[in-house]
Amino acid sequence: MRFLGFVAAGAALLLAGCGDWKTGQANSSQGNIANESRVPETANASAVAPANNMMLLAAAPPKDQALKIMHDRHEAMEGLGKAMKTLHRELDSAKPDINVIRAQTATMAAEAAKIPSQFPAGTGPDVGKTRAKPEIWKQQQLFVQRSKQFLAAAQAIDAAAKAGDVNKVMALHENVDKACKACHDPFRAPEH
Amino acid sequence: MARQPVWDLPVRLFHWTLAALILFSWWSVHNHHTDWHIWSGCAILTLLIFRLLWGFVGSSTARFSTFVRGPRAIAGYWRGTWRGIGHNPLGALSVLALLAAVAVQVGLGLFSEDEDGLYMGPLAQLISVDASDKARDLHETWFNVILVLIALHLIAILYYRARGRKLTLPMITGRAEVEPGTEPMRPGKWWAALICLAIGIGITRWIIAGAPPFGP
Repeated sequence: MRFLGFVAAGAALLLAGCGDWKTGQANSSQGNIANESRVPETANASAVAPANNMMLLAAAPPKDQALKIMHDRHEAMEGLGKAMKTLHRELDSAKPDINVIRAQTATMAAEAAKIPSQFPAGTGPDVGKTRAKPEIWKQQQLFVQRSKQFLAAAQAIDAAAKAGDVNKVMALHENVDKACKACHDPFRAPEH
Repeated sequence: MARQPVWDLPVRLFHWTLAALILFSWWSVHNHHTDWHIWSGCAILTLLIFRLLWGFVGSSTARFSTFVRGPRAIAGYWRGTWRGIGHNPLGALSVLALLAAVAVQVGLGLFSEDEDGLYMGPLAQLISVDASDKARDLHETWFNVILVLIALHLIAILYYRARGRKLTLPMITGRAEVEPGTEPMRPGKWWAALICLAIGIGITRWIIAGAPPFGP
């Protein structure tokens, strides 16, 4: 009986400790991205344009060229990641510097526009080391749609940054996070 | 031989919750649930603080002062002269190594951020982007150390089992067959366990809030 009481009291304490850990923190927006692929609605208008598949359907490049494309897109994605991290840190800081924010969102918007052209056929895991999954070319339409949604989210946040509206940047960066994840989850393989 | 108490309830709950959370941490981070992974790490932090405190005020078999012994005791155990309940002097090393390795892992996790910059550990804002990426690299590498220690832990259990000693059941029921004349376990106070847990939760909440004065 005393054991039961102990377990009940312990459970109650644990529950008491279980508030939303993000609420205590400035980077509250980092949570709940797990709710899968819900991408910003603003993006839907420009999505699903079949003509945009052209890049992916282009003839496969020769091997050395393919490897260069793969290497360059890896660097570009890493640059995007760095921009995201820098942006989040800036938004979390006590006094966000709008110039630092602008530099990051400009990178995001510019890099997002390049994504569809960075994945031509013949640059998959069968050619060289890459975390790009074959699904990119099996479900090209979805891939292009997701990249367009990311572009829309990146352009929206960049516009807010250019206008100097930090609050809007804060509100919009969650959309960018979701758009990253919506494409990475189905189309990027784990590390190693 | 009669079955006597050897592990108190807090020790058993700690053990199985820790095992479950380590498994869950591994699963969640490999299945696109980084936010759950961070939650899980925070829960493990609470458990570790609890266990550290319980190691000073808990039941006799939970206390570090009872089971952490010098090399002479380990040699004695090796020769078969050790008599007692709880962690034996050699097993104590395994306990310390596991606790320390998990603590290092949690510490690295607190300062890590994911590769895409979508999720940050609660203390990641305190350090630079590069340092945080480095912390994540180490966090990934250090998991191998934990895997090795868990493997040793399981191998030891199988080894004892092969020699006729069952260790898993006592960790569930809390009781084991004890040779007559062995000093019995002195239980801890249940309210002391709750205080230890409350302190663990309190410190974890403080870290989750972003540490020093709640943020950089």
